[in-house]
Amino acid sequence: MSYLVMECHPGYAVLLDEEGRFLKAANLRYETGQTVYDPVLMKEMPERQRHTVRWISSGIAAIAACFLLFFGIGYYQNYIQPYSSIYLTINPEVQMDLNRQGTVVGLMGTNEDGETLLEGYDGKGKDKVTVADELIDRAIEMGFLSEGGRVSFSIDSPDEALFREYGTELRTKVTEHLDGRITITIEIMNHQDGQGQESPENSSSSIPSQPSTSQPEPTSPSPSEPSHPVVVPPTSSNATDYDDTDYGPDNDGVTDYTPPVSSPPADTDYGPGNDGDTGYTPPSTSKPPADTDYGPGSDGVTDYTDGDTDYDPDHNDDDNDGDSGYDDDDSDDDSDDDNDPDDDD
Amino acid sequence: MNDAHKIVEQVYAAKENVRAADDLIRAYLPFIKAETAKFLKRPPIEGQDDELSIAMMAFHEAIGGYSRARGSFLKYAAMLIRSRLVDYSRREQRHSRVISLDAPIGEEDATLGETLADDRDPHEETALRDATRAEIEELTRQMQEFGVSLSDVADNCPKQQRTLDACRKALEYAKGNPELLDDLLKTKRLPIGQLATGSGVERKTLERHRKYMVALLLIYTNGYEIIRGHLKQVMKGVAVR
Repeated sequence: MSYLVMECHPGYAVLLDEEGRFLKAANLRYETGQTVYDPVLMKEMPERQRHTVRWISSGIAAIAACFLLFFGIGYYQNYIQPYSSIYLTINPEVQMDLNRQGTVVGLMGTNEDGETLLEGYDGKGKDKVTVADELIDRAIEMGFLSEGGRVSFSIDSPDEALFREYGTELRTKVTEHLDGRITITIEIMNHQDGQGQESPENSSSSIPSQPSTSQPEPTSPSPSEPSHPVVVPPTSSNATDYDDTDYGPDNDGVTDYTPPVSSPPADTDYGPGNDGDTGYTPPSTSKPPADTDYGPGSDGVTDYTDGDTDYDPDHNDDDNDGDSGYDDDDSDDDSDDDNDPDDDD
Repeated sequence: MNDAHKIVEQVYAAKENVRAADDLIRAYLPFIKAETAKFLKRPPIEGQDDELSIAMMAFHEAIGGYSRARGSFLKYAAMLIRSRLVDYSRREQRHSRVISLDAPIGEEDATLGETLADDRDPHEETALRDATRAEIEELTRQMQEFGVSLSDVADNCPKQQRTLDACRKALEYAKGNPELLDDLLKTKRLPIGQLATGSGVERKTLERHRKYMVALLLIYTNGYEIIRGHLKQVMKGVAVR
């Protein structure tokens, strides 16, 4: 490519190339009219427009990144991060991790049977109820669960409302699912305190010939036995034994009230249980009781005198030593004794 | 501070005016030499070191590209000079194994280039160059009537091949309609509307490259045989398309 030198300036030369482009190039001692072959062309001006485009595009990229991050975190928290768990126990134990939407994000067999139950089953992305239904079906198929069996859902959720919602949903839906096919006991528990929350209920209400477990069966509080989760100890803050009401016709006659067992019964002296013993012990003091001359305990002796008084109106005491005990300037053994109240003699 | 303000004003004036730019470059030649010396690690020799020319071009580029937002002009210019010199030295590294024709040989003052047989006739060449120069000077004068300088055209020249082709298309149409070129010379105005409708090129494209189109059309009026001869490629390209 040859270039025709069109114009020369101290800083640059204007060249015309063979394709009709006018270009600026370093003026390497060129002369107008000269033909040159290897000029040092000037770089294209840094255009302002390009910067704006870059600014805008980088801005858009930044905003897009922020959006992605924002929605990504939201998506992760809502859909991927396990938020609550349901521990399904038949005999096989299965742990279901749920996201905030109640969809299963993780399934794990926590014992050997549980692993057997989950073998070849993919419940990820399904709703917890679907998974629970399908797992129960599989359990029935595999013979883990039979008529009259027990299914326990232990729900580990960060808040009470969710626990209640899941509990209700699971119980209703699973009951519906199994309706008319098999009769089992469904048990909902709060995993966090490991104690039964809702009374066991017959999954199939159409069959009334169920054992007494179909009815709330209050027993004495037995926190050591979580499989009988009927009575809620008052110490549990999560205890919501809403089904066991003592009001209305369903009253079972048992109030489930247990007096607080934190301390032995107070030994009261009021009422019929009075044992006559007030149990009152006068506060012991390090000093013997003061010899008071007031009140009924007065012994008639005022003890006012320390035996060293000079006051003797009756003149029956010869103790008057003529020393008033008053001492103005010189130190005297007597005065010391007389004026010191702590000195009991 | 006042000096800094003054130079910024000078730079902004030089952006508009080619002569002011030349004056500014001349005034700051010592600065450009100093920057080049920093790079070369020796003082550059005027009229011999290409690096100095490169640095001057970089300074000119700095005038064009400077804006107040870029900070101090001289710092910006120094930065640009340094980068262009680095670019140039990298480019020249490819030829590092090539001997310069200007390299002296022996103890004589003669250079290697002078020992080569020259098949070109220096007299003919000088004559051609003078003729070319005359043509270019005439073109420059004629362009001035349109208020267009060659430097403007260089700034206004299409950068993209597509735009260049569009301009060529418009030129081809004008060549086919010589009355358009006559009109151009008579009215001193570019018949953009006719060119656009006639050639089918976007009017906006022609408007944007008005100065370039003026130069191109003027070259194809009359005279300018040598320049047209140089531009053989232009028409070749159109003919192929």
